[in-house]
Amino acid sequence: MTTSIEGAPAGLVVADEQAAAVHFLVDEELYPLPAIYGAAYVFIDRCYVFLDRPEPARVRVVLTAKSGAAAPEALRALIGEFANELLSCAFRHQIAQDNRVLIETATMQALAGAMGQPSLDDLAKFDFRDQGFDDPLGIAMSWEEKHGRKSPKPESEGAP
Amino acid sequence: MSDVHELRFSRQLYSGEAVDQAVKAFARFAAFDLEQTEDHWVVRMRPSDPNLARRLRGELGNHALGLTVQRGGAK
Amino acid sequence: MNLSLPPAPSLVQLRPRAGTQAYFRWRAVGDKILVTNLEGNWLLLTAPEFAAFVEGHVPEDSELHARLKAGNFLRAHYDVRAAAERIRARKSFLAGGPNLHILVVTLRCNETCVYCHASRANMDQVHTDMTRETAERAIDLVFRSPNPFITIEFQGGEPLVNFDVVKHAIEYAVDQNRAHGKRLQFTMVSNFALLDEAKLEYLLQHRVQLCTSIDGPEKLHNAQRKLPTQDAHQRAVGWIKRINEAYGASGLDPTLYHVEALLTTTRETLPLWKEVVDTYVGLGCKALFLRAIDPFGFADRTRQRLEYPRGEFMQFYRRAVDYMIELNKQGVQILERYASIFLTKVLRGEDPNFLDLRSPSGAGIGALAYNYDGKVFTCDEGRMLHEMGDDTFHLGDVRTSSFRELVGHETVRAMTIASNLDGQPDCVHCTYQPYCGTIPSFNHKSQGSIFGRMRESNVCAVHKGIQDYLFEKLAEADPETLAIFDRWTTVRSRDHFVQPAP
Repeated sequence: MTTSIEGAPAGLVVADEQAAAVHFLVDEELYPLPAIYGAAYVFIDRCYVFLDRPEPARVRVVLTAKSGAAAPEALRALIGEFANELLSCAFRHQIAQDNRVLIETATMQALAGAMGQPSLDDLAKFDFRDQGFDDPLGIAMSWEEKHGRKSPKPESEGAP
Repeated sequence: MSDVHELRFSRQLYSGEAVDQAVKAFARFAAFDLEQTEDHWVVRMRPSDPNLARRLRGELGNHALGLTVQRGGAK
Repeated sequence: MNLSLPPAPSLVQLRPRAGTQAYFRWRAVGDKILVTNLEGNWLLLTAPEFAAFVEGHVPEDSELHARLKAGNFLRAHYDVRAAAERIRARKSFLAGGPNLHILVVTLRCNETCVYCHASRANMDQVHTDMTRETAERAIDLVFRSPNPFITIEFQGGEPLVNFDVVKHAIEYAVDQNRAHGKRLQFTMVSNFALLDEAKLEYLLQHRVQLCTSIDGPEKLHNAQRKLPTQDAHQRAVGWIKRINEAYGASGLDPTLYHVEALLTTTRETLPLWKEVVDTYVGLGCKALFLRAIDPFGFADRTRQRLEYPRGEFMQFYRRAVDYMIELNKQGVQILERYASIFLTKVLRGEDPNFLDLRSPSGAGIGALAYNYDGKVFTCDEGRMLHEMGDDTFHLGDVRTSSFRELVGHETVRAMTIASNLDGQPDCVHCTYQPYCGTIPSFNHKSQGSIFGRMRESNVCAVHKGIQDYLFEKLAEADPETLAIFDRWTTVRSRDHFVQPAP
């Protein structure tokens, strides 16, 4: 049997005491998908987390107690914690976009500084064949590859 | 013979490779049958021990979610 | 929980005029309003001054205008170069690399402390002793750090239990440093109960800085730190006096060279704020670090017995530091370490590089912890979590990992990003952001993610509480207190502890 949870918006949060689970319908316009993933990931060590998309732009998050039993207060606490984490992740997602340059610059300086210059041994071990990045714009392609004359297509059968 | 349990992972939310990998990780504990529909990765699971069914469902779901997040999403 | 806004009702009616102020954050502190900017300049304004600033009608020829201009709070006069220089000074630690290297030479410990669970082993667990070979491999990695300043800290367990390896590590490091020429220091954190004259002579001769734990007055200390002989306090105190005498006999300035002691604040400590301060002053300590208890190293059941609400900790803190200020006014030199760290940032615009109180934190990029078995972690807390079955902060092994693999590890990258306050909700808008820091391992343990949620974080509550207290004192502007604060931020180098140049 499912019941609503006190203090949670009606219809968005539903508790299933028998299954020791709580369902939360999340609006993707308010909480972007990376934030939903982020919050869900934080919870996989304390409960079972399942995501579903019952309708466009909505994600249903199902949190199930690992023990198989949970009192209503425990389910309420679980969904409350999740809602706080979700809000935090959504806000952080926005801040990370706003301050991306600042964060990346600090991180790069910190890591490059801490690692120091590579030794000859480090360079010898480096795998230069490693395809470490996507190149959708073809920036790493040679000019010939990108703009050179195309090889003639094989003649199709029946061509004059 | 134990019951068949069906899990439907939204293809918009879970990476297919993550679901495959999760199924492989739990292959010792159940027989699995995989199917792909337009919207879902469908996993049918027949646990070797029926008492493990609930836990297996949960752990498989967590595993698939964790791997999906590590891959940066479903796409 | 207090959900009410700070008492400044007139602020509600303010009609901010955009375009006159440069970026700023604000917070009510007592009856003043503290404003800080991106580079960490700060001003304490009265409510009318703040209103004039926000509404953009500060007369150009006013004293307030001059203060705002000098602090780089006005858009029309914004000095980008000055702001960049200030930020550069504050972040000078950023590219330095790990300078603190913690060697856990054994988990064995002769004392049983009520708050210590997973980071110790019984005396018969000899397999938790670091071997000479592991110590050598750890030190090989230490010297790969690009940081010209290196501190090797011996920890445990109780490091004196494995003193042979401590000695070997010191001698090997000194020898290796002939090729590297680092400014090398050693410190050892010990309960001193296993110290003897021969060991002390060796440690003094090799300039090892000694640090111990004092949990306050004798009764409390012996109740929390248990030796079979029930005299942990007496032994520690006896050796503190002996070591300080030895420093004096060597002609070293006792205000600079003395045993440092660390306090673990449990619920039992809170009513004893005066006794704790008096104990430290009586032992000749010049610094007391009033840290709240952390969640590492002991069982949940124990934590419930030792823990306390952070509001109670802040009462303890305020009473203790008020008392320390009074003692300073009477000529006693004792400083509170947290206050000293924050005030150095606030008053001097510098960062003393305390690894848990900087942005980003020092985990991996400022410090590494080497466990007895050769496993390497981002920090000592990460090492303790490993002993509790959580390997989140494990980076590699001294035998198989290169230095660049360790500090370039994805966990270090994640922690560097997670502890950058420019990406953290709440912190990003917090008035204290330029002076603060977060601890990813603490967030992970207490809230399940290295990012944490600062609004619900005990560390954040303490950091905000301490800075509120300090800015209240700065707002009171008592000349004697300001002079004491200035002294607390004066760093005097302890060159004796640096190994002689090779």
